[in-house]
Amino acid sequence: MNKNQLFKIGAATLLPKLIVIFSLLVVTASHAQTTIIKGNVIDTSGSLPGVNVIIKGGEKGTLTDFNGQYQITARSTDTLVFSYMGYKTKEVPIANRAVINVALEEDTTQLKEIVLNAGYYSVKDKERTGSIARISAKDIETQPVPNVLATMQGRMAGVNIVQETGIAGGGFKINIRGVNSLREDANNPLYIIDGVPYSTEAISDPQTSTSTIGNGNPLASINPNDIESIEVLKDADATAIYGSRGANGVVLITTKKGKSGKTSFTVTTSSAVGSVSKMMDLMNTEQYLQMRKKAFANDGITNFPANTHDVNGNWDQNRYTDWQKVLIGGTAEVNNIQATLSGGNQQTSFLVSGNYRTESSVFPGDFLYKRGGARLNMNHRSEDNKFTVQFSGSYTAQNNDLPWIDYVTLSRQLAPNAPELYDAEGNLNWENNTWTNPLSNNVRKCLTFTTDLIANTVLSYKLADNLVLKSSFGISDLNNEDSRATPSTTYNPSFNLSSQYASIYLNSLRRRSWIMEPQVTWNKEFEKATLDILVGATFQKQSSAKQLALATGFSSNSLLYDLSAASQVLIRNNEQIEYKYQAFFGRANYTYEKKYILNLTARRDGSSRFSTGNQFSTFGAIGTAWLFHKEDFLKGTEAFLSFGKLRASYGTTGSDQIGDYQYLNTYSSSGISYGGIIGLQPSRLYNPNFGWESNKKIEAALELGFLNDRILLTAATYRNRSSNQLVGLPLPGTTGFTSIQTNLNATVENRGIEFTLRTENIQNDNFSWISNFNITKAGNKLLAFPGLETSAYRNQYVVGQPTTIQKLFQFTGVDPQTGLYQFTDFNGDGIISYEYDRQVVKDVNPDFYGGLQNVLTYKGFQLDFLFQFVKQQNFNFANTQKFAGHFINQPVEYLNSWQEPGDTAPYQLFATNANQQATQRSDFFGLSNAAVSDASFIRLKNISLAYTLPKSILPNIGCRLALEGQNLLTFTKYKGADPEFTQGGLLPPLKIYALNVQLTF
Amino acid sequence: MKNQIKKYRLQLIMVILAVTIQACDDFVTVDAPNSQLTTPAVFEDALTATVALTDIYAKMRENGFLSGRPNGFTCLAGAYSDELISFEVGNNTSESFFNNALLSTNASINTLWRNSYNQIYAANAVIEGVDNATALSEEVKNQIKGEALFIRALLHFQLMSVFGDVPYITTTDYNQNSTVERMDTEQVFQQLISDLENAVSRVNITYLDSGRIRPNKAAIQALLARVYLYHGDYAEASNMASAVLNETALYQLEQNLDEEFLKQSSATIWQLSPGATGANTYEGNSFIFFTGPPSKFALTAELVAQFENNDLRKLHWVKQITNGSQVWYHAYKYKKDMATPSSVENSIVLRLAEQYLIRAEARAKQGELIGAKEDLNTIRQRAGLPNTLAITAEEILTAIQQERRLELFTELGHRFLDLKRLGQLDTVLGSKPGWSNTDQLWPLPQAEMDANPFLVPQNPGY
Repeated sequence: MNKNQLFKIGAATLLPKLIVIFSLLVVTASHAQTTIIKGNVIDTSGSLPGVNVIIKGGEKGTLTDFNGQYQITARSTDTLVFSYMGYKTKEVPIANRAVINVALEEDTTQLKEIVLNAGYYSVKDKERTGSIARISAKDIETQPVPNVLATMQGRMAGVNIVQETGIAGGGFKINIRGVNSLREDANNPLYIIDGVPYSTEAISDPQTSTSTIGNGNPLASINPNDIESIEVLKDADATAIYGSRGANGVVLITTKKGKSGKTSFTVTTSSAVGSVSKMMDLMNTEQYLQMRKKAFANDGITNFPANTHDVNGNWDQNRYTDWQKVLIGGTAEVNNIQATLSGGNQQTSFLVSGNYRTESSVFPGDFLYKRGGARLNMNHRSEDNKFTVQFSGSYTAQNNDLPWIDYVTLSRQLAPNAPELYDAEGNLNWENNTWTNPLSNNVRKCLTFTTDLIANTVLSYKLADNLVLKSSFGISDLNNEDSRATPSTTYNPSFNLSSQYASIYLNSLRRRSWIMEPQVTWNKEFEKATLDILVGATFQKQSSAKQLALATGFSSNSLLYDLSAASQVLIRNNEQIEYKYQAFFGRANYTYEKKYILNLTARRDGSSRFSTGNQFSTFGAIGTAWLFHKEDFLKGTEAFLSFGKLRASYGTTGSDQIGDYQYLNTYSSSGISYGGIIGLQPSRLYNPNFGWESNKKIEAALELGFLNDRILLTAATYRNRSSNQLVGLPLPGTTGFTSIQTNLNATVENRGIEFTLRTENIQNDNFSWISNFNITKAGNKLLAFPGLETSAYRNQYVVGQPTTIQKLFQFTGVDPQTGLYQFTDFNGDGIISYEYDRQVVKDVNPDFYGGLQNVLTYKGFQLDFLFQFVKQQNFNFANTQKFAGHFINQPVEYLNSWQEPGDTAPYQLFATNANQQATQRSDFFGLSNAAVSDASFIRLKNISLAYTLPKSILPNIGCRLALEGQNLLTFTKYKGADPEFTQGGLLPPLKIYALNVQLTF
Repeated sequence: MKNQIKKYRLQLIMVILAVTIQACDDFVTVDAPNSQLTTPAVFEDALTATVALTDIYAKMRENGFLSGRPNGFTCLAGAYSDELISFEVGNNTSESFFNNALLSTNASINTLWRNSYNQIYAANAVIEGVDNATALSEEVKNQIKGEALFIRALLHFQLMSVFGDVPYITTTDYNQNSTVERMDTEQVFQQLISDLENAVSRVNITYLDSGRIRPNKAAIQALLARVYLYHGDYAEASNMASAVLNETALYQLEQNLDEEFLKQSSATIWQLSPGATGANTYEGNSFIFFTGPPSKFALTAELVAQFENNDLRKLHWVKQITNGSQVWYHAYKYKKDMATPSSVENSIVLRLAEQYLIRAEARAKQGELIGAKEDLNTIRQRAGLPNTLAITAEEILTAIQQERRLELFTELGHRFLDLKRLGQLDTVLGSKPGWSNTDQLWPLPQAEMDANPFLVPQNPGY
């Protein structure tokens, strides 16, 4: 393990210590003794600056300088204690020597010193009462991925992350301890970046972000390499202080800080290539045409219809194109460069960094995602240690140039004998109007330009030794401009469409917010106990302004981005949204004999998303911990049981992820014109009375350390109950809308067990092997739902079953005589119907998931690899590709279809889409238990082999070389493309190989 | 330095205290967004109230039954019957309609249903808004409410015509509307007639605009005439059609067939304004093509073969496209497939010719054969055809039906609806490979059946 990395982890705790020790030194310096001892402190890679050198039993101490040198005055009989974060403390008797050189050993098990960021306060890992998972820069740096959430996959118990698309800048789905809300888009955690809440609400518009799902992912603007640590708060004890926004967990992202000491300059570059990890096995031309012709024969159609160009002679019967290879088989190139300058002295430290990343696409064409950003981080402390100021600021710009569609669906549906892409002159081939050339989609562009500024300042002043006043002031300013341009050249030239027919959608969004959080902390040391009190308040305001314009009728296709060249500009949407939020919060932590800990947190929240009278609600939690390894009755077992803790918590949190102004009865502009006047439309169905939902969380956990913490394990069990759910109640179209915001009298329970194990398998001077394992078994259940039978949810949920179930038809086989799929007619009415015959329940929530990480270090080499595993069932290809015989290609599995009476086959007869009955059965089949199968997988999510050049080769330069890979191997029986990610038709996460070079000067 | 800190310390404490104490409920109260108007405010002003109404017309033009887009009723019903060949490919295109192989999960069906009821909601919101309005004049209230009732009736009529029994929605109350049941078509007819009669009494014959883009009394009467005809109320149908036909100062058939579908056509009773300067109709864009095969629709050879020799409508309203030996036809009533410097064509919803044919049929049904033939011949003469040779009531009715097929082709599904109301679907469309006798009704959208358990039963065959 690299000392710099460990240093970083401890920097936050080390700094105060350094200062305390430094002050002590100053105080005691006047009582100097006679002997001066000098020396040099080193580790395996060279001299070690900033090591604490103190005299045992005394208060005196010093630090090693930038070259690892120290000098201290002591009695010749004293013992010196050398300690340094991340290293084993060493005691050396002076024994009349004047020069003492020391080599410190890295201590990879020194977890007791890890201090976790719990948001408003920090807590030592071993003393926490809540459930907090963490990954740090050393886990993040090995991964060649652009998104913060990707770095967390498989590494945290209780945190399930699914990448929703392999397209650069695309989204992720994250569930912390399950799915609490029946409202699908209300299960996002709260993100806080250096103290500033970061909104993950969509920044794009469905009209302009047609190729990336989720309407833009704001988290893409965070550079993973800037991150020092990510903490995920899970239980009530940890999240209740975030009150109404803590129900789905809290993700705290802390960026890297400067370190005092020698100014260092680090440059990291990486180059990577990515490609689709698994293609689908589809029919070739011969198989496909055989299927099609058989389908027409089965349907008794002898004259091929006019639009069936694949079989009616319009298209070559012998051409074959592997459309997956052509449309999604490219190689994405990823380049990343990052430079960091950091340094400082005892009072002030700073870090400045800049990064630039480009990522091309696997699609045909020159598409490129670019991200550049700069960060500044500064900390200052007054000479008397009373006043501190921390500043962190970052600015990121992203520029994404994408095709307007994801080519995956097309690549799997185009007939294998579809025509050539280009004609003899090199123009797009339209094959005599018989198809839409897929590459005509490349002419339409989705451009996104996003800039994002986040800055936070924390001022704190120590009024007295035990009383600190503090306030943070944060701002964020996000600008997003995206567009979807449709030049007339995207259309078939035979349509004779001039640029008068070109159009462009332009969307712009500006979202600004500020937050101020004044806080007071007070602590008191009693003889056997300590009491820490924190009270604070939050004021936050977020304003968004959005405009969506449609411009049409251009004088030239090259002027699409110039609205003055458009003959018509329609503003389709122009809204200003304001969100205000206010809270008072507090924490009291009482520790008795360093063994018994009680942690109380509370928050009173008000949110503008509720109508007057419903705006405020109170949340709170109690957490306790018992460090039982310190008990007398376990005395003598320390050598074996080095750490033992039992903790438990209970509390309530809430959620206000419901959108703004839902309680207002208003009209807004429709953006469409009639008689030259833009219309007004009812904004929504409104409900003035909805209120807060409540989420009760309970947790118990056991944490154990054995053999001097070489084995550390945690087992936690939790239960969350969410009731009075705030949902967008789905409504039938007869109400005029699709949903209404309301509280639903339903209770959802999420339960789970999380287990983490960290073992230090081998630890010696040259070789170490550390393993981290986590596994989570989580599930939920709908406990109560009065009126479910008559609600819109009746075909979706069953009381007593998980909310992640699918109600499906029961497939009973293919009728050997008719060749049609057969299903159980549950209500016996002779008809298979969606309403009554979807009675088989399948849960698509993972049974369990987790990861196994191994870090092997030998001298300068480090091998780090992570296997992610998920045990689950999910929809297979039969859900999305079910109409074998239609004018679309199909997986080769369908070659096993029923051919003639008497056949027993897994799939029904081939049929065209003129066969309503067969098409209907195929549709049922796609929603039957036969379309759900095992989707478990084990994936080599990440592997990194790094080599740090010894100091002897490059004395003044630190050099680290790494080969990294992402998603390299997947073991699965899944019947489909990528099991991680079962949504059909979207680009799966890519397989990436990367080479990474880091130089430190 | 120390003093400074002390001073600073005091200030800091004061700031924190001040901020904390001042904080109260007020902070989290936000003003209504400046991009939204409260509903009562909309109906305090004649202009905003009118815009709330006319927005429904804009929506009807864009989506739903009246839209001329490939997923509007004109195209879908044309492909579903025997007017159009669909060249589109895919389950969620007009191909499933052309194949008569609809699933209840069909996206176009769902869109039609959702958009119609969304437009009905907006009409009900306007009715309620006007009813509660205090500052609007009675005249404005009557006009707006009358139009909203007309919209409500028109959309329910369209829904009923393809889905059969449908809920008739007359309120904005979602509690009520989310559990509605299907209403017997006879009751729907009564509601339609009642709404339209109510509307007729409120709206004036004078158009409020020069482009006939807002319905006047005659537009409501024209729809009412159609509804009476479909319901078999022949005397009322005849009277209503007469009420429209008698407005000769406003309405005359265009004798030049190329002018019938221009926006200033004097045969137009009500048309939809285009959404942009210079825009023309979606119909034109859906139907017109320049080289074959087309990518969307062509007229069936069967329809083209129905025109008698010298029928001017074949000459003016149908266009032939050839490619080598292959021949296709497209509807050419609207002649602009895209925008022009200023709009020349609007999507026409109600026009005079239909009223002649309604009255002809209603008269024939009542035994007024002379009057029936007179109306029929008016249409035939304009098409350059000799008077009908039909003599008996039955022959006259058959001739009227044929005339409707040729006069009203590719307009809002008239052909399909005629076959349906006259019980001829199975005989005429039975030769299509996908046709079955349950295809006279379309499936209720599955998503709707899921969302409302009281919407059962599904139509037979789905």
